[in-house]
Order: sequence, then C-alpha cells, then structure tokens
Amino acid sequence: MASGIPYDAARQRWQVGATPPKRADEVSVPDLLKGYHPDHGPRARVSLAVGVNRGDPCQPDFAGHLQANALIDDVHIAGAQLVTTDVLVIGGGGGGCAAALTAAKDGARVILATKLRLGDSNTVMAEGGIQAAVGADDSPQRHFEDTLRAGHFCGEPELVAQMAMDGPAVIRWLIELGMMFDLEDDDRPLGGKLLRKKPGGATAARILSYRDYTGLEMMRVLREAVELEPGITLWNRCPVVELLSDDHGRCAGAVVYNLEWRCFVLVRARSVIMATGGAGRLHLNQFPTSNHYGATGDGLVLAYRIGARLRELDSFQYHPTGIAYPRHLAGGLISEAARSAGATLINGEGERFVDELQPRDVVAAAILRECAEGRGIERGGQVGVFLDTPSLEKANPGILAKRLVTLRHLAKKCGHDAAEEPFLVYPTLHYQNGGVAIDRHGATGTPGLYAVGELAGGIHGRNRLMGNALLDIVSMGRRAGAAAAAQPADGGTLWGRAGIGHVHAWQRELTLAGLPLDVRAPQLFPTYAHFDLGADAGLGAGMPAHGVGGIR
Amino acid sequence: MSDPIVQLSVEGCPLQVPATSSILQAMVAAGQTLVEGVGCMGQGVCGSCRVLVRRTGDSEVRTALACETLVEEGMQVAFLEYFTPAARHRYRMDELGDSWDALARIGEVFPEAEHCRHCGGCDRACPKGLDVQRGVNQAVAGEMAASAHVFDECVMCNLCTLACPEHIRPNHLGLFVRRMLASRSLRPSDLLRRLQEIERGEQAIDFDAPGARPPV
Repeated sequence: MASGIPYDAARQRWQVGATPPKRADEVSVPDLLKGYHPDHGPRARVSLAVGVNRGDPCQPDFAGHLQANALIDDVHIAGAQLVTTDVLVIGGGGGGCAAALTAAKDGARVILATKLRLGDSNTVMAEGGIQAAVGADDSPQRHFEDTLRAGHFCGEPELVAQMAMDGPAVIRWLIELGMMFDLEDDDRPLGGKLLRKKPGGATAARILSYRDYTGLEMMRVLREAVELEPGITLWNRCPVVELLSDDHGRCAGAVVYNLEWRCFVLVRARSVIMATGGAGRLHLNQFPTSNHYGATGDGLVLAYRIGARLRELDSFQYHPTGIAYPRHLAGGLISEAARSAGATLINGEGERFVDELQPRDVVAAAILRECAEGRGIERGGQVGVFLDTPSLEKANPGILAKRLVTLRHLAKKCGHDAAEEPFLVYPTLHYQNGGVAIDRHGATGTPGLYAVGELAGGIHGRNRLMGNALLDIVSMGRRAGAAAAAQPADGGTLWGRAGIGHVHAWQRELTLAGLPLDVRAPQLFPTYAHFDLGADAGLGAGMPAHGVGGIR
Repeated sequence: MSDPIVQLSVEGCPLQVPATSSILQAMVAAGQTLVEGVGCMGQGVCGSCRVLVRRTGDSEVRTALACETLVEEGMQVAFLEYFTPAARHRYRMDELGDSWDALARIGEVFPEAEHCRHCGGCDRACPKGLDVQRGVNQAVAGEMAASAHVFDECVMCNLCTLACPEHIRPNHLGLFVRRMLASRSLRPSDLLRRLQEIERGEQAIDFDAPGARPPV
C-alpha cells in the first residue's frame, strides 16, 4: 500500500464545514474502474484449469482455493460414525435457518450443522434492512427491474422475478415468526405503514428495517425458532469438510468434523442444503473485510469439487467505506446511510475527489486511486480517506443523534466523536456477487445438492443492491427447504454406496492439469485462526492428535 | 509513532499488545488457535466472544464481550465456553392461543420468572448494560411493550441466563415477549394491500418490459 499524508497534517488541512468542490475529473469512469477496481485490470482474473467451469474467469486468490485438493481421504473416515437424516443443512445463518425451518415444518428430519454457533453469520451483522415491494408507489415489477439493472443485467430474470414477487410474503413469514419492523408511526402496529428507505441504485423506497440492526433482529428470531423446533437437530461446531457422493455423481451427504470431540462423522442425507455464506475472510486481493469470522467460502469449494457449476467468480463487491483506523476494527462497515445523508469524502490534501452517491464500485475505485497516488491519509500504519461526518452534523444539527445512531456508536468505538472528528475509511471486501448456479428451487447442477444465500449466484448479477441479500436468503432458503423436504423417500439413495469417489476423480484432474496436491481447501477458518485440520485431527501418518493451545 | 504497549494475561498466557487493541485482537495477535468464541470481530452484535475479566486492583470478576473491550495493563481474561442450558419448555408461535391468555402463556413457558429474587445478577452480567431484571419483572406484570423495549439491543449472548440463580432465562423471556407482540399485532396496511393484490393476480412480472432489458 502506498504511504499517505500523515494524519496530523491532513487533519490540519481539513476544515469542518468547508465544502470544497469536487476536483475536476481527468479520469473517465470506465478508466477509473479499469485502473483501480480490484475486479478490473490486468491481474483481476485467471482462467480456471480444472472442473466444470474450466476456462472461465475467476479471481486469482479464489482460483487457488477452488483448484485445491481435498482435506481428507478415505482412510480418515474409515471408522467414522454414520448418521442418516432426510435433510442436512450446512450453515447457521439466515439462509440455513429459513431452509431448516421450512423443511422441518414440511415433515423432514433435519440436521443443521454449523461451523461456529447457530446464528454466527453475516446475517446477524446486517444493518441496513431487507427489500420488499410493499409501497403503493412501488411494485414487484420495479423491484425486479432495479435488481436486474444494478447487476448489469447479468442476473437470471426468472430468479430475480421470483425473489421480487416473494418479497411481501417473506415479510409476512418473518412477522409471523415474531420479527419486528419499524413503522412510519411507531404506535400504529395495526394498519400503520412500514418505514421504507431507498437503497442506492433503486427507483423506489423499499428497504424495510428494524432500527439499524435488522440482521440482529432477524437472526435472533430465526435462531430461537430453530432451537425450539423439535424436528431440527442442531450440531454446533461441526464444519463440513467434504461432501459425499454416490456412484451416479449425486450428492449423498457430507463428512462433518466435530471440533469438540475431534472426530469425523458421516451424514447420509436425501438432500443437502448448503448455506455457507461468503468468502470475505479469505481477504482476496489482501483487502480487509466486513465479513464474519467464518466466511471462508467453504461451500463454493465443496460444491465445485463435486461438480456443481459456478458463475460470476470474478465479481466481488467492495464496499467503499470500511473502517481504516483503528486497526482492530479495520474492515468494519460504515453504512452507506452516511453518504446518503450527505457526508463527503476528503483526501489528505483536503479535496473532494468523487461524487459520493455513485455506485459502490465507482466510489471504491476512486478511494483506491487517491491512496495509490499518495493523496491518502496515513495513521498508525493504516491508509484511507476522511468521511466527513462533522461537516454533515454542522449542516444538519442533530442528524447524528437522530438518524445515524449506530454511526455515532461506531465512532465512539473507534475512539472519537463523530460530530468532532472524521472517520478514516478504506474499501472493504463485502459480498460475493456470484456463486453456485441454481434453479428456482435452489437446486444446483448436482442432484441432491441445494445452495442458498450468498453462496448461490445468478440473482445479483455483477453487483448486489443493498437490502436484497436479506431477502435472497429467506426467499431461497424457504424454497430450498420445501424442495428438499419434498424429495421422495427413495430407499435406494440411502442404502446405496456413498463415499468420496468425486474426490478421487478431482485428484486425477488436478494431476493431469499439473496442479499441486499439497494445497488443500476449504480453509475452514481465516489464516490468523491458526487452525490446521491435519494437526487437530491427527491426519498425518503416525501423528497422534495432540493438544493445541488456544480457544478450541 | 506507535501506541504504548500493554501487558495482560489471556487464558493464562502473558501477552503484550498495543493499548488500542481489543481483548479479541490481542488473542488473534497472540498466534494461538482461535476457532470458537469469535464471530463479528468487533461489531458487538453476535455475542460469541464472552469473557471473564479481572482488572488490576479490582476484586470483582466481570463479564464482557472481548471484541468490544480494550485491553488494560495487568488485566486477566478467561473465555467462557459456549454452554447454555437447554430450554426447559418449548413453545410454538402458532400455539400461543388467545392474547387474553398472554400472562398464562408466560407462566407456562417461563414459570421461574415470577420467582425473581431481584439479585441483579443478570444486570451485572449483561455486557450491553441492559435493564434485564426490570425487563423480566415487567413481562411478569403484563407490561409487554415495556419489557420488549428493554431487550431491544440484546445480542442473546446468554450471560444473564448463566447468571440467574432461579434459572429464569431472562433474554429468552424477553425474546418471547417481543415475538408475541410482533406476530400478534404487527399488521402494516401497505403489506396487507400488497399481499391481497398478489393473491388476486394483480401483480405480475413482465419480462419483456423495457426496463427489464439492457439499454440499447
């Protein structure tokens, strides 16, 4: 990262209330993106060498994970306990919970396996809200068109239409489960109107929310419902390390690693629903991330290995305003609401350099350009630009206390008063636009395997709209849960052979392509978790499972 | 230019980290394996990083969230394993019955709640500073909206559940009240209208509309 202008000097230069004009743009938007956005430029993609998507473009770091060897082999699971169920749900976020609740309600026996705890997810961290076309001035048609357009028309129209039409029903389902939503008038729950906000890039206000912690409210309710549902068996601290396949290439279940007992468990299931979330903690392009600790793209790696087709693997969303300082909060999200309210971005020379309300990829690229060309601000080893909240407060006294409360709390955590000091911000890896290709039931190209949520692709195209992620996970989670539960009880599936034959085929492909066999995936935890499955489970020949220190 | 260094002990291990670190960040920097008790990494919203903290000169051991608590010189920290007693009584949202029986429902699902000892253990345990005990008492008294409001920012870390000597499960009682209120009384008119329109087939997607294709 290029060094920047020292914080003290930049702080002196910045004047609260001064409204510098935006610097004249010598660079066109396409050139800005090509020059500075991580999705663009000469090193933005490589061609995949193995697998169903061979030849397709993929983000380079990500390709390394997709084209890696499996974590385990037959010998490691030879004596493993075997459990059977109707539906295995992998992932305990909003998508996994919606799927599990729906499948259980339809009579299926469900096992929900999570890597951390139920609810530990990107869902619980979501602040903005959930989109649903409820306004009289709005319609599912507009929602459908806004979503397609924001995604640069790369989304599948059928999937987008379905999600938009599902919106109101999803809100009703959530309310029936006990989720609260903000109303225009707080004391009119019966017959009042829902409070709606307009997301960047949409033509109508349709984000519904609960305060600015919609994700927490949603996850609390979903988690409680799952824990109280007798038809769902919850396995915390049980990451999936490999899928099981049968002789026909159908997904037959999964290999689970129990972190408490340090042993593998085989789960045979009629259907497997993967809802493993995003990949931010892989820190692609060495970016900080807004994502949850467990977001390491496990589901993508496993789905690809068993033969499911993926899409838009070279498209990731970088949110422009991630916290840059202090270091221990770096990557944390500062909501777009600040810029919508009028906060400006100022570089180390006291200049405005971009229209703050441009789409996220443009603003992110502009910030990256300032920092790359030495006009960023450096503090404590971190580089970024100022988000001028004090000037916003000066122009709109009281706005921070009334409409941007979480922003104020965030500033306090960063060690300053949002009304007195600007934030230091830098783009943060936020969302995976692409993923596993699915049909309208969430079914992937591999029979028996479903994908739900951020893991799946084809809905958000090449750029996701704010508020569509929470809608996506509930809409598709319910559909996949229903489809999975409806699978006929076919004795053949659960009594036939199942194993890791697809892993052997994969290893042959890797060898033929000249790829190394000692690079393994999924990573399961971020690098700084210092977790090695081989050491933890004693996978090496003659190596006893020895105790490792730390919190595990 | 660097921050002053602080010495503290986490899980028995002496660590030296910049004073601007959170306890969780200190743990990450220590290079030890970390595969539980971690989640949102500083947003303070997932409740996974529960720790016991003892500060120098303070005889009391307090509970906190590691990602939100800055390190201090001489601090001693231990992570709390995620172990929560299972619910004694289950309930179904669709079996709550008549809202006139709300207090009876609370009495069935949370019979311990009316035996609150007013020990304040839940208040002291709460890392978010919520008025947990008051919320419990309000629920038992039928003051649903007030009780629901107390638990607005609850992250369900379950520290109050662990602390309660009467096994009340305060945060789950609060969530029960909130869910009951929302599922029974939230009927926004715009949502009702739109659902009716969709049911009548008045809202359909036109895949050939001009807005559905890229501009020529």
